[in-house]
Amino acid sequence: MSKIIVEKVTQTFGIDSGSSLKVLDDINLEIESSSFNVIVGTSGCGKSTLLKMMAGLFLPTEGRICLDGNEIKGTDRRRGMVFQQDAVFPWMTVAKNISYGPRIRGASRAECAEIEKKWIELVGLKGFESSWPRELSGGMRKRVDLGRVYANDPDVLLMDEPFGALDVQTKERMQAELLNLWEITKKTVVFVTHDLEEAIFLADRVIVMSARPGRIRHVEEISLPRPRTSETRLTEELLSIKRKLWSMLEH
Amino acid sequence: MKKLTEINSQRLILGALSVGSIFALYILVTSAKDNNPALLPPIPMIIGSFTESLGNGNLLSALGASLYRIALGFIFGTTCAVILGSLVGWYVIAEYIFDPLIEAIRPIPPLAYIPLVIIWFGIGEFSRVFVITVACFLVCIINVIAGMKNVPKVYVDAAATMGASRVQIFRTVAIPAALPFLFTGLRIALAAAWTTLVASELIAAQNGLGFMLQEGRRYFLTDQVVMIIIIIGFCASFMDRVFRMIQTRLMRWSEMRE
Ligand SMILES: Nc1ncnc2c1ncn2[C@@H]1O[C@H](COP(=O)(O)OP(=O)(O)OP(=O)(O)O)[C@@H](O)[C@H]1O
Ligand SMILES: [Mg+2]
Repeated sequence: MSKIIVEKVTQTFGIDSGSSLKVLDDINLEIESSSFNVIVGTSGCGKSTLLKMMAGLFLPTEGRICLDGNEIKGTDRRRGMVFQQDAVFPWMTVAKNISYGPRIRGASRAECAEIEKKWIELVGLKGFESSWPRELSGGMRKRVDLGRVYANDPDVLLMDEPFGALDVQTKERMQAELLNLWEITKKTVVFVTHDLEEAIFLADRVIVMSARPGRIRHVEEISLPRPRTSETRLTEELLSIKRKLWSMLEH
Repeated sequence: MKKLTEINSQRLILGALSVGSIFALYILVTSAKDNNPALLPPIPMIIGSFTESLGNGNLLSALGASLYRIALGFIFGTTCAVILGSLVGWYVIAEYIFDPLIEAIRPIPPLAYIPLVIIWFGIGEFSRVFVITVACFLVCIINVIAGMKNVPKVYVDAAATMGASRVQIFRTVAIPAALPFLFTGLRIALAAAWTTLVASELIAAQNGLGFMLQEGRRYFLTDQVVMIIIIIGFCASFMDRVFRMIQTRLMRWSEMRE
């Protein structure tokens, strides 16, 4: 079980420096165990900040975030995060990047090799096992990043615009893969994106944030039937939700 | 875009041209009728001095003594710098303890310690190696600390969210990410080692390249002075080359420009 509760969370940057900036204001959320949650909101509204706090990279200025009743006070392998920026280690080959998590926990060479093989295949990087990240395209590096987090097998997946750098085909394939993986493993997912169609296609719930300071503006339960396929993208239902959310994002 | 081979040949030609023209200029000036060989020794004299000191064994024993001092000072100095610098750059507690000390000592040129070192430890071998050690340590540690401070945060965060401990992040993320700075530190330390070597040998050594420089000055053997300068330049740049080669080997992952 991995249920996340965000309680009255406020984040203010630069309190010490005098020019303080309130980024998040009174955020309350209940992320159900095994649910797929997508956060949308305009640039700079504090989505990455919220996700990083869920990962435990820093504490909220006020309020608290709990995982299964325990307050999150630091990082933990149970909460894996795909960062908005490129986070692939340039000094490790693709394969070594993928098996990083298991390796630091002392997995044997054979176990690592098995994990590498499985996830390299799943993210579609077969043949690039021993390439250096600098030899890959931006989208391929993102897939290394994804594979690395999946391979680490966390309970909660925090994903910050993971498919932003991918072309439409790869993006749709990766979305389908992610849904597949999620149906099997039933991990709790918190996913940030700018792309409304992506949000609705993936989510159980879409959380719409307003900007400056970031607040929860609306939570939309998405009841599109699963499993969702490429046909789902074209249904009238999806489009009407998209129109509705679109108007909320405008202002 | 140019092809790599083209760039390489361009580099060779231009390099040979610049060295060659300086060389030609020197020959031209020294072969003038009114040239004073005690100020500008002609090239045959320099070569003569080289073969002579090579023949009587003076040069090799001086070179050996100097290289030995450099090796000791460099190894002690940079080892301490890498260990302490990594800790200071990575662990805040270590930074609070050592940073004020390092900041206080850093601006003082290592050569300024020579009189103090002589008073404390005498004019023996230890003093000379000690001065070189201090010089290597100081220039190296600054780079090591800078390297640790410049480890991109996103790599540290990524490792942390995958469950790596602070020590594991240090080993698997901070050290490799700081490697470029570390190598720069080592190379600057090597240059500093040569600088302080000559200074420390000018003072109280009975052998070594610095001693031969001093001897050359005292007896007006300008050819010997020039010869030793060339040897020092040659050794220093050769060692720097070796370091750069090791760096390229260890950092095949980096997008470093050739
Ligand atoms: N470490 C920090 N120190 C100071 N201000 C910060 C810091 N991190 C983020 N901010 C500020 O907080 C605000 C929200 O940043 P955040 O990265 O969470 O936005 P975002 O919603 O993820 O935007 P985007 O969609 O563009 O990624 C921005 O105005 C940013 O300038
Ligand atoms: Mg962001």
